[in-house]
Amino acid sequence: MILIAPYAQKLVNGKRNPKNYPFWDEVIAGVAEPIVQVGVEGEAQLVPEFRKNLKIPELRALIRECRIWVSCDSFIQHLGWDEGKQGIVLWSVSDPLIYGHEENINLLKDRANLAKNQFLWWDSVEYDPNKFVQPSEVLRHVC
Amino acid sequence: MPKVLCSISTRGRYHTTLPLALQAIISQSRSVDKLMIFDDNDEPQDMRKELAYSYFFQMLELKGIAWEWLFAGKKGQHHNHQMANSMGYEWVWRVDDDAIPEPNVLENLLKWTRLDNIGAVGGAILTPPYLPDTSQVTGLIDNIDNEPNIQWNFIYERKDVEHLHCSFLYRAGVADYNTGLSRVAHREETLFTYALRQKGYCILAVPEANTWHMKNPQGGIRSETNHELYSHDEFIFRNFLEHRDKTIVVLNCGMGDHVVFSHVLPEIKNPLVFSCYPDIVPGRSIAEAQWLFGDLDRWNVYKKMDKWRWKDSLETAYRKLYL
Repeated sequence: MILIAPYAQKLVNGKRNPKNYPFWDEVIAGVAEPIVQVGVEGEAQLVPEFRKNLKIPELRALIRECRIWVSCDSFIQHLGWDEGKQGIVLWSVSDPLIYGHEENINLLKDRANLAKNQFLWWDSVEYDPNKFVQPSEVLRHVC
Repeated sequence: MPKVLCSISTRGRYHTTLPLALQAIISQSRSVDKLMIFDDNDEPQDMRKELAYSYFFQMLELKGIAWEWLFAGKKGQHHNHQMANSMGYEWVWRVDDDAIPEPNVLENLLKWTRLDNIGAVGGAILTPPYLPDTSQVTGLIDNIDNEPNIQWNFIYERKDVEHLHCSFLYRAGVADYNTGLSRVAHREETLFTYALRQKGYCILAVPEANTWHMKNPQGGIRSETNHELYSHDEFIFRNFLEHRDKTIVVLNCGMGDHVVFSHVLPEIKNPLVFSCYPDIVPGRSIAEAQWLFGDLDRWNVYKKMDKWRWKDSLETAYRKLYL
């Protein structure tokens, strides 16, 4: 089983979070094994099994159970690291050297895409799908 | 030569003690590199139109001293001093607008900064005719209720203390002013210098640096008569004292940040934790931290990383903040 956490926290201004990976459909289509999505109420459901609003022990159990997890720069990448379970993190504008963990597989397209100020709210950063790696690159690590 | 910013916050004293303070700053034997005047008056005026002030500004320019007059936010002098604290100078000499330093004060305070690990240096702050016996004063925060401040009389030899008041020279950008205090900012300089001490720096009371405190019943914090403001600030001050043996941790941040911090927590000495997600890092509520300590910015790891121009990991930033 593969665990995915597609979405970072919703922004206060209602815009799309610039850390949210844009090519999940392509990634999911390329995976031949069961996928469990985790997230919170209000997020788009991408696979048949979407477990919402899980408690932290439940999330930890899923992380331990999965073969590998895949997420954007969100809570799951920290929890997976804390569990000692390697996963794939899909980066865009936030800096994996600051917010990431070297134990994970950190896929960043180009450091030139990183937000100039890493410490402001992400509301002030425009969404740009071109700042993410292609699905083929993700699938190369997942499969 | 270290760069020194002089910071003066003023309210209600345009035509009483402020001109004396400015004259004294301009006349220092060691000039400041910049004079920053934070005008916190309820109805600020353009003082360039006043004869004495127009001469002050010309004197500053002729002496090559940069100066700036900033109409401040009327939130209290602690907000203004915090701005000065983060303006990029190595040292800030804060002078009250009713304190008149003798001409050698800055020069003599600066001499002590050549010693290792100095956080703040203050001289005597003399308020005629009051001159209490300070010969037995310890300068320890524990004794703050039981002894006069060592600065209230002439100082004859250097003494290591834990707090200073009124006017002193300090290492900038190390500790923060508590901007959670009310506009009267009661105890703000005590909290600030003690915070420097808690960061491991020495606080010195030194001789031959006399400032005359023309304590003015009007203006400054004494413009405020609302005793609730003083009570509020005293409450915060007492809370800091009560918890001074603990490392206060405030995690007003995201869930992932809590997870990262949890790897640092075991190394923190005697932690008192306030947490947004007690299921990740057990702790008391953020609202309680706000109530107890006023301002939580000093524990905001994002603000700190921004200030430090941080390039390393979040975990390392937490180590720098708390260890």
